[in-house]
Amino acid sequence: MVEPLQPRDCWLTSFLSRFFGPALAAPATLWLALTFAAPLAVVVLLSMHEFPDPFGDLLQRPSPAQFSTILGDGFYLRVLVETILLGIGVTALTVILGYPLALWLARLPVKWRPLAFAVILIPLLTNVVVRSLGMVLLLAPDGLVNQVLGLVGIAPFRTMLYTHGAVALALAQVFMPFLVLALYDVLQGIPPRVHEAATSLGASRTASTFLVDLPLSLPGLRAGIVIVFLMSSTAYVSATLLGGKKVWTTGMLVWQEALQNLNAPLASALALLMTAAGIGFAVLIFVVARKLTPWLSGTPKAAASLPVWLMRLLEVVAPVLGRILLAGALLLLLLPLVLVCIQSFNDVPQATVAGFRAFTWKWYERAIFGGAYAPAFWVSVQLAAATAFVAITLALPAAFALARWKFPGLGVLAAFWTLPLSLPHVAIGVGMLRLLQTYTAVPPFFGLMAVHVVLVLPFSIALLHASVEQLDQALENAAASLGAGPVRRFVLVVLPSLAPGLVAAGIMSFLLSFGEVTVTSFLTTARMTTLPVRIYAEASFSLEPTVHAVSTLLIIATVLALVALGRLVRLDRMHAR
Amino acid sequence: MTISRRTFGKLVLGAGAVAPVHFVTTAIAQPKPGDELVVGVWGGAQERIVREFCEKPLVEKYGCKVSYVLGGTPERRARAYSERGRPSFDVLYLNIFESRQAVKDGVTQAPTAAVPNFANLHDVAKLGGYGVAFNPVTIVYDKRKASKPVTSWKDIWNPEWKGRVAWPSYPGAQGTAGLLMAAKVWGGDEKNIDAAFGKIRELKPFAAIQGSQDQLYGMFDQGVADISIEFGSFTRFYAETRNPNIEIANPVEGQAIAMNVACITAGTRNQKLAEEWINFHLSEPCMMAYAKQIYYSPTVKNLVVPADLRPKLVMGPDVEKLVDFDWDNVIRSQPQWSSRFNREIAG
Repeated sequence: MVEPLQPRDCWLTSFLSRFFGPALAAPATLWLALTFAAPLAVVVLLSMHEFPDPFGDLLQRPSPAQFSTILGDGFYLRVLVETILLGIGVTALTVILGYPLALWLARLPVKWRPLAFAVILIPLLTNVVVRSLGMVLLLAPDGLVNQVLGLVGIAPFRTMLYTHGAVALALAQVFMPFLVLALYDVLQGIPPRVHEAATSLGASRTASTFLVDLPLSLPGLRAGIVIVFLMSSTAYVSATLLGGKKVWTTGMLVWQEALQNLNAPLASALALLMTAAGIGFAVLIFVVARKLTPWLSGTPKAAASLPVWLMRLLEVVAPVLGRILLAGALLLLLLPLVLVCIQSFNDVPQATVAGFRAFTWKWYERAIFGGAYAPAFWVSVQLAAATAFVAITLALPAAFALARWKFPGLGVLAAFWTLPLSLPHVAIGVGMLRLLQTYTAVPPFFGLMAVHVVLVLPFSIALLHASVEQLDQALENAAASLGAGPVRRFVLVVLPSLAPGLVAAGIMSFLLSFGEVTVTSFLTTARMTTLPVRIYAEASFSLEPTVHAVSTLLIIATVLALVALGRLVRLDRMHAR
Repeated sequence: MTISRRTFGKLVLGAGAVAPVHFVTTAIAQPKPGDELVVGVWGGAQERIVREFCEKPLVEKYGCKVSYVLGGTPERRARAYSERGRPSFDVLYLNIFESRQAVKDGVTQAPTAAVPNFANLHDVAKLGGYGVAFNPVTIVYDKRKASKPVTSWKDIWNPEWKGRVAWPSYPGAQGTAGLLMAAKVWGGDEKNIDAAFGKIRELKPFAAIQGSQDQLYGMFDQGVADISIEFGSFTRFYAETRNPNIEIANPVEGQAIAMNVACITAGTRNQKLAEEWINFHLSEPCMMAYAKQIYYSPTVKNLVVPADLRPKLVMGPDVEKLVDFDWDNVIRSQPQWSSRFNREIAG
């Protein structure tokens, strides 16, 4: 990696190199220390309580009782292991389906890209309850999959729902966008010269995909894999809705113990064990990725080659398989949501009805003029916009510290930044419950935003880290040689080069905050009901197709917003223009 | 003026005697325009009904503002517990067993006659808060799949339902009712729950474990399951509007009691508004809206309903027939039972 540009003066150089990195890392660290460390500390303290006592003091004599209960209990251990396996399964599925999708997106003509982005991001926009309903409509015994199979004379599979497979598919649908976005920017950032070099050395398109694109995209893949694993191993809403309590995840147990049984200590201990497993997985992935990408730390890599027979096989199979997987990925992203759109015109009293009965506009009328959804929608939009802005502002310097201004202790800080992702969100909620008195003293909008930033920050840092690592420093050197100072270089060279990464991270932060329900449902106050919390609350009684209409409106709005955004900001790298 | 020691003593005593009066009068201070009542309630139809029949008249009468915290019971209860003594809610809605425990735990207030309609409540609705709606739990099933109508809780164990049962998840109102009724009909009770677990295990494999009425209706629609244990009230609405094949059984052993309870939090700063809110909830228009729109049965004795609605509700002598349980024992055993349920029944 090229060293960052160093100013000429010697004392300044040493001053900067010593303090610039920590200064860049400080904003994100401070934010997390102020807003995340407190609930985390509560969870740690609770996990060391011997007995649950909802009204007892937080500080008690530490006891390992909860941990020994869990570790000595076959059921808890089984659920922990199953959760990890589910996470690995979802991650694998996401990589297999998401990689061809990211390649497709990166190679698509620029004018189609906003639309393609919209396709990928749509699942993130639909509320988790609605999304899961779409999946139910797809996999049900009389659902779409079985109807299509029936057309070609295959007997229906009656037991697809309420299985690990159904949960994995639902989680893959919603987490695939994260992996694709993480990959997209990195794939975009591979200079075309590299492909030209590969072609001149005789590599076919398939060979250059496997030998050039794949290794060079490993930083993005690493970020994507860690994000998807941590999210899927801490998920609980989809698991509850599609697993029908036949599938157990640690997140579900944490929720049940903390809320239904008021046993916060056991819930906290479970959450911490899950966190430990998640961190272990993340470290493993980082180590493996570092082994696979020695050139990032300046060590040349041994020449990569594939056995001739394998290469020949890939030449034949890969293009076809790639298309099939791409089609599969697009279908998985879109089909459940098409069903949701159709349902939004269905004249039936509740949202879960399978067959189409009659056409109606009434759900749209209720969604727009019913009074309840519009205010919640605006709260969500404002919250998500504020969250995305703050998160990017904090994450950008942190990403530069990670990529360019390394200093001793940065590794520990980086692990701390990832923590909110590996702690099940339910557990953050449990920690916040104990702090509710303090929390309610904070203005409600700021309080929710502060917590949302915590949840979003790991993603924005991971995405921007990969983007910053990919910056072409030759451009900055050229600017410097033309006399541009650091500020001019940053504003005129670095920021435009980072635009795709910033847009991706911004959109993702916005959507994550927009859809967040797990922690928000603990923190929502009477004056601050977000759209997902409202929909989730209705699901606790009976959902009406109004939620489908809301989702459809959101989908249309996103497509329009992204197309407009595509006109303002280029979603591709400069060298590709 | 000099004050002798004796006079001083009298003054102190007098002040001591008057102080509680002052305290009480501030506690039930008259609501001022602009006061805000915070209500924690389920979303959907129930939210709509209380907005219309409690919020409107309350705002008209006092010029106050009403805000809602929407969500399921577990989140609401956990919040109320964590805010004990300094609640951000004034009124919250709980299920029967949680509400009684919440009073014991000092989270919510026991009901009092300060709510005028309290006098009209059935006795069973006067515990742990103000019962606002009966929605008993019973067996619901697809009548096309039944060789004969279901008339007993034991019928769930008939071979024809093997593999088609969607058992309700525990804890939760339906799961609690299912477990306790199984114990009751198979020779156990709240204190001897083994019988229930043994018999429920016999039903395996389940078509599914259902986690909410909404999920169950989806399962019926999709042909995933044919029989379950659910609130009869809203299931009737579902059967009438959506799935005419679904039958709501009235077993000989009775339906298991379940009740929505409105609770005033301990430490609320809007005592009077909260009591007025609940009074409006127990008034005729609101009770009637619950009965007509979602078939939730009234908890007050003085409501007269149209003749065609009467058979769809649990009223009058039927209320006495609802099967009640020792809820103290039930709530005490919940962590242990839920742990057993996860291991032996679900999963």
